This record gives sequence, C-alpha cells and structure tokens, in this order.
Amino acid sequence: MLYREALNRALDEMMEKDETVVVLGEDVGFYGGNYRVTEGLYAKYGEKRVIDTPIAENSIVGNAIGMALGGLRPVAEIMTVNFILIAMDQIVNQMAKLRYMSGGKIELPMVVRTPQGVSKQLAAQHSQSLERFFTSVPGLITMVASDATAAYYGLKKAIELDDPVIFLEHELLYPMKMEIKKRENFDPFRADIVKEGKDITVVSYLKMLHDTLKAVPVFEKELNVSVEVINLHSLNPLDMETIANSVKKTKRFVVVTEEPKTGSFAAEVVSKVSEELFYHLDAPPLRICGEDVPTPYNRKLELLSIPTPEKIAQQIVYWGREHGI
Amino acid sequence: MEYKVVMPQLTDTMEEGKIVRWLKKEGEIVKKDEPLVEIESDKAVMEVPSMKEGVLVKILAEEGEELPVGAPIAVIETEVEKAQITAKKVEEKPAEKEEKKEEIKIPQKKPEKKEALPEGTASPSAKKTAAQLGVNIKKLQEEGKLPVPAHEKDIKSYFYSRFFTKSALELLQRYGLSPEEVYQSVKKERIDKKAVEKYIKEKNIPEISAPSDIQRILIKNLSKSTQIPVYHITHPFDVKYLLEKKDYTLTTYLIKVFGDVMYNYPELRTIYKEDSFYTYPTSNISVAIAVDNELFNPTIKNVEDKTLKEIYEKLQEIKEKAKNRNLSVEDIQGATFSISNLGMFGIKQFDAVIPPFHSGIAAVGTAVEGVITITFTFDHRVINGAQAAQFVIDVEKKIQAMRSLK
Repeated sequence: MLYREALNRALDEMMEKDETVVVLGEDVGFYGGNYRVTEGLYAKYGEKRVIDTPIAENSIVGNAIGMALGGLRPVAEIMTVNFILIAMDQIVNQMAKLRYMSGGKIELPMVVRTPQGVSKQLAAQHSQSLERFFTSVPGLITMVASDATAAYYGLKKAIELDDPVIFLEHELLYPMKMEIKKRENFDPFRADIVKEGKDITVVSYLKMLHDTLKAVPVFEKELNVSVEVINLHSLNPLDMETIANSVKKTKRFVVVTEEPKTGSFAAEVVSKVSEELFYHLDAPPLRICGEDVPTPYNRKLELLSIPTPEKIAQQIVYWGREHGI
Repeated sequence: MEYKVVMPQLTDTMEEGKIVRWLKKEGEIVKKDEPLVEIESDKAVMEVPSMKEGVLVKILAEEGEELPVGAPIAVIETEVEKAQITAKKVEEKPAEKEEKKEEIKIPQKKPEKKEALPEGTASPSAKKTAAQLGVNIKKLQEEGKLPVPAHEKDIKSYFYSRFFTKSALELLQRYGLSPEEVYQSVKKERIDKKAVEKYIKEKNIPEISAPSDIQRILIKNLSKSTQIPVYHITHPFDVKYLLEKKDYTLTTYLIKVFGDVMYNYPELRTIYKEDSFYTYPTSNISVAIAVDNELFNPTIKNVEDKTLKEIYEKLQEIKEKAKNRNLSVEDIQGATFSISNLGMFGIKQFDAVIPPFHSGIAAVGTAVEGVITITFTFDHRVINGAQAAQFVIDVEKKIQAMRSLK
C-alpha cells in the first residue's frame, strides 16, 4: 500500500460511515486529487459530497467553516501548503477562534488537509514547510502523518474530532510504500517511540523521520551509542510526557525538521525541553533543520538547503563528540 | 596526458572492489609500479601499483567506497608541469555522483577555534550527579582528573572507577562495561580483576570484536557460497601405499591425483558465473590454509604438468606466504577445485563449503588403517551426480595406479 492510499482509505471509510463527512478542494473530485488522495471518492459519493472548488483557498476554508457550522464534517484539501497563505485569515481568525468567540457554544468539526515540504525541484514558492504558522495559533490542532499508520488512523481521528484540525502531509511520502499497522487504540496525541535507545533522544516527523531512521545506524555505530527515535503525530498539542520520559533516560535531545531553523517549530520543542528538563540535560539540545534560505531550484543546492540522512548523521556525530560522547 | 585510474580486476571472479587505503595523497608524484592504493577484492586486500608515472591530481573514490571493476577511482596527470592546471580544473568539476548510492559517510570535521571554558564548567546533569555523589568538579578539573566541560559519564566514571583496581578497569574497558553498572551489582569498596571476571561470567557478557579484512572477505564469500546448490559424495580411499611411501605429504599426492583426473573432466574445470560457464584449460587447485583465525585459499596451477616434487615445493611456498600474509594476486586466483584436509587433527570425516566460483571441494579426513574418507561437495550447476561419481571412481583408480608411480 502507498501512503496516499492509506489517506484515501481513511477518507473512504469515514464517508461511508458518516454521511455528514464531505470533501472539498481544487480538483479533488472529477480529477481525483492532485496527489490522487481523493481518487475514486467522486465516483462513489457523487458531486454533493466530493466538491470541486474554484482556485480560491480562502473561500475553500471559509466554505468548510460554514459547512461545519451547519452540521457537516468537512475535509478541505489545500493542494499544497504553499497556497494556504491566502486562507490564513479564515484559518487564524475564524477556524481557530470560533469556539472561543462563541463562549464554547460553537463546535467546529473540520479538517484542513495539506501536504508540505521540499519535493523535487519545485522551487522556492512551492517547497515550504510552514508548520510553525499553525502551531503558533491557539485554538488549532496541528497533526502530522509520518507514515501510513498515522495517515490512516490519524486522519480518521482528525475527522472524528469536534475541533478544527490542520492535517499536514508530505509531498514525497505520497508514493512511498508502507503498511498500515493495526492500532485499534491509536491516539494521535501520543507520540510513538519507533526505536528504543538509551543515549540520545531524537524527535522527528514527516519525511525527516524517514531520513533520521536512515541515519540512525550510521551515527549509532560511529558514536557507539543507542538512540531513541520519537515520531510525533501531533505538533500542537505536543506530547511532552513521552519526550520527557525519554530525555530523562538519555539526557541528550535532538529534533530534526525540514523547515528553516530560525523561528521554527523545532525551536519551540527545544524551548520546552530546556524549560522542563534543564537539570536532566548532559548536552545542549540540537536542532537539525533546513537552512534559513528560500529553497533553491537547483537539485544540489536544494539538497544542501534541507537535512538529508547524511547531514543528520554528520551533525549528530559532530555534536556528540563535542559534548562528551 | 590525463590518465584515469580505474578499479582493477584483481582476480578473474572479482566484480567489485573496496578502496581500503590511499597510499598517495592528491598532488603527490607517483612512479610507475609504485604502490598507489590498497584494494579489497573478493579474495584479499592488495596493494595496487600505479601503471603510470605522474602526479596524482584527483582521487575520485574515497576510502571505504565499493565500486564495480572498471569504475574510475583516480586521475593521474603524466605531464608533471600540466599537473597543476589539471588539479585546478578537476576540482572545479563537481563530482558526478549525486544520489547514486546512499552510503552515508562522516568526514573528519575541521577543528574550530573554540574559547576555552573555565574549570568548573559542566553540563546540568553532570553537576546534579556530582552533587549527589559528592564530587568536586572544579577541584578535579584543576587537577586534570576531569575534562572541561565535564559530562555526566565523566563524573560517574571518576566516582565509580575508584572502587576498581587498575587491571579490573582494563577489563571493564575491554568488555565495554561502565564502572557504575558493575559497582552497583558487586557493591564492594575494592573490586579487583577477579571480581570483574566473576561478574562477566555471571552476566554472560560477550567480548565484541570486529573481523579482520581477511575474515570479512571470507564471511562475504561464505554467504555467497550458501547460494550454490550443492550435493555431497562420500567415499573411502585406500592410501596405505601412499602413507608408507612417505616421500611427500598426503595432501601433495591428493593434489596430484585430483589435478590429473580433473584434466579429463572439463566440468571440474568449470565455474558458473552470471548465466555463463567458464571452462579453464588447466587443473588449478586451491588449498585451504588456516593461519590463526584467518583462512587463505591459495592456488596451485597447472597441476597436471607438475611433478610431485614441484607440487610439494609450491605447497610449502604458499603456506609460507600465507603465514607471512604476502600472497600475490597470482597466488590466489584461477582455481576451480579446492581441497581441505583436517586429517592431521584426527578428524575421520567432514564436509566443506565450496568457495565461490569453484566446481567443488574435497574434504579429506584422517587415515584409519590406511583408509581415508573424502567427502566431495559439488556445485550441481556445473556437474551432475553421475559424472561426479565417475570422477570419484577415477580418483580411486588413480590412487591405485600411484603404486606404480615413482
């Protein structure tokens, strides 16, 4: 199964189960979705539940908010995160705040799905990771799906929630082959420990989780350590309990994200770790992030601007050697 | 002229080689036939000499990299005065190997100038641990007993090491044990080597070591061997007469017998590789020679043309070379049949693993009342049971015929 097929299955099962679930977005219907996530849904559920919209992101989200107010459970797709900036007014001022502004009377059961990240040579305006914009808005839940299991169960949970969710995917994960692991009690707000270890805690998600896992055997061998890898399913709220338990054991913390470093979500995680776990730390926390540049188009420069398995391994080795490993 | 050095074909079965060590640096002058690089083939690690004289202007393959035979690994400029210009030019060209193989390397980091930290500097967790254990970080750092900055493991290691004797500490290091974990278990104020040995035994802790280059090659080859479909034929041979003769070792006689008989059996001179049969014109037999923990498989060539004396001398020569680890490329390639003798240890019968790219191997046991048992392992892809049986019977006949041989 492909990652995108896991998302498709989640949508399909939720639409089958609950007729208030509707899908809307650019080319999600007749065409089956730009990344084929909504493939087959138009034929199965018809144009009333799988709605092709104009190229107008602000109204896609605005319409979804209206639908949620009116009793539906809309799942809006924004073709890529790069186009979501136009919809930020609806997201920040309406979607995130309606429950608060109504004194808790309004429930907003809606999901905005969108892929982000550096794909292959789509240039600066189409190669961004913008999780920081969502995680910094009170009232929004920001979920990420790093593998097929999180895509399938995570999206279903997001649709079931009565609060608005930004659901982030990654463009390079769509065609990746993965299996959905059976997880009856999947809780998106609990992070997964994908690999246990005792010397370093590494937190990551989306594409970078996969790159981190490729780097792990290399730096484990080079530093002669065992590393614990944590996969986040939700960025806000953040499962600090799992992170804290791990850091108390390993005393060393690394976070790997694809976004530019300055002002990043990674910075937020490191802040929390420093605030809550300072006396447990045996080394300064390390952020491995993208460079603070617009993503270059040239493939070699593009790869230089984001973490790769090689760079992750190198940076962790250099950092480890400098700080007492 | 620019000369491209490529991954050499060191043995006829070699498909890829690993750069072990560069013996020249970029910009250095190399003479013809001077050792340039150490390469690991499917059989051994060898020094490869330069084919040209000139300046090594560019190394294209880094140490540890595995490349197919024929892949460029370096550039030599044969006109020395041109070398400087070329060196620049080559550097400007970006290496064309992006995304070809995802092997992750950790290059040495250039040392950065860092402000020296004052004594007393330690990580938060090191300070906490020091406070718990009553370790004075600043004082010990001033005495040079703790590094600056200190980390938790430095504190623990200092604190718990005091309970151990010097030889006990050495043992801890050999087994990768931390003083803390052993102390927590032993709980004594003075822990000597004996106590650590007892701990290691009780906890059944293995000593971990890396295989040598030669062992690595053997392990790789053995894994390849498991892909060969094999069968075994076991047969007793009466060698009373040969043993009584005592002119040469039994292995010498057997090599001669196998060599002569396999000359009539092209299947035994054949190896299978990539959908093709390779049939060699002469009887080339490799001999398994163990040196300490390492196993070598040097070859005696043209056995059918050699006298017993020549075979015996060659055998002594390759044994000596294996012991000194200076077998040449010529010494280790070209064999299609192999022999392994454990008779001298008193083993009656055993079977052996075919080395890759061999048709078979003979596992020779000890003589019981003048009779030895040999178990042959054959590669079914190159020889079927019926021919193999005929071969074994011919070997027996040949041994009988040896009676009349001088």
